[in-house]
Amino acid sequence: MQMLSDDDTNLAELSDEELDLAWDLWFDLAQSTNDADPLYTHGVFAGITQVEISEKEGTSQAPGLSRHSSRAS
Amino acid sequence: MAGNIYFELTRAFNAAGPIAVLASGQAVVYYRVAIMSKDGDWVIRETAEACAQVLTVLAERGAVYRAGAPLDPRWLAGGWSSHFEFFDDKRRRVRCDFFSRPPRVDPASLSRLYEGEAGSLLVIDLESLIRMKHTQRAKDYAVIGELAARLPPEQEIQFTTDPDRLLTLASSYHGVIARAAIQAAIAGDRDGVVVALAREQDALQRIDRARVRAYAAAAEPYLADVGTMSSADRRLPGVHARLVERAERLLPVVVRAQENVDADVE
Repeated sequence: MQMLSDDDTNLAELSDEELDLAWDLWFDLAQSTNDADPLYTHGVFAGITQVEISEKEGTSQAPGLSRHSSRAS
Repeated sequence: MAGNIYFELTRAFNAAGPIAVLASGQAVVYYRVAIMSKDGDWVIRETAEACAQVLTVLAERGAVYRAGAPLDPRWLAGGWSSHFEFFDDKRRRVRCDFFSRPPRVDPASLSRLYEGEAGSLLVIDLESLIRMKHTQRAKDYAVIGELAARLPPEQEIQFTTDPDRLLTLASSYHGVIARAAIQAAIAGDRDGVVVALAREQDALQRIDRARVRAYAAAAEPYLADVGTMSSADRRLPGVHARLVERAERLLPVVVRAQENVDADVE
């Protein structure tokens, strides 16, 4: 049973340089979702869905916490 | 040259000796399974020197603390995580997360992680990575199937999430049968394998959710306090001592959380 798509799993055929280039391009594109990203994807704060400090330079706002841990660690 | 900033950071953290092991999503990239994470996660050696080295590297890049525990051996030992971010020379957001006690990874495996040379790209081993991926997030279980396929058969059968692989591997398996899905596979019961895998995943997800909730509750007063800090106030290196002072008042080192996953699901 194939669990990931061919696009996901064909990385094995890439050289180190090709993998670096592929990742770099993907990272460029992935910046477009920065504002929509979960606050935390790893670590023990992943259960916090509403914090927090604004990530924008020079601004801040009071935190609000939720224990609804729909996001991953 | 274009490259993976998280691989580069790993080498920088380890420049003076092995202290940081690349884990989670970027380890999945390293093993060429998938590109599916834009953050970096490291298991860090639980020493003041290791923390200082990481803070120095991050300060050189203009990093700020995100809301999280201070990078200090006391909170690392309590299972807490520390979080930072900065923008690279192409103005791309780079997020860096650190912990020293990855959940579900046994201490013996942890002690072996730091066997490497100065400046090396240390990456977590496959079995530990799989155990770390036993999270509440559904997509991790597809990745586990792909990671397990890179293990020897006697290990793969203990971790794979692929029912077909389990049925194939079970035909020549003669080891310990602690996993319900293996028992069903040996009996040739495909439906039983599928049900056992689903129950196993659900149990793992529930346990991880409970663990994270316990930390979220314990962190509430501390996060409310650090949430008042501006981005400028959170910039390294000056902020670190201030966060430690706040954590000493408001963030408990020890959190009671269920950790023995294997006992519950096998």
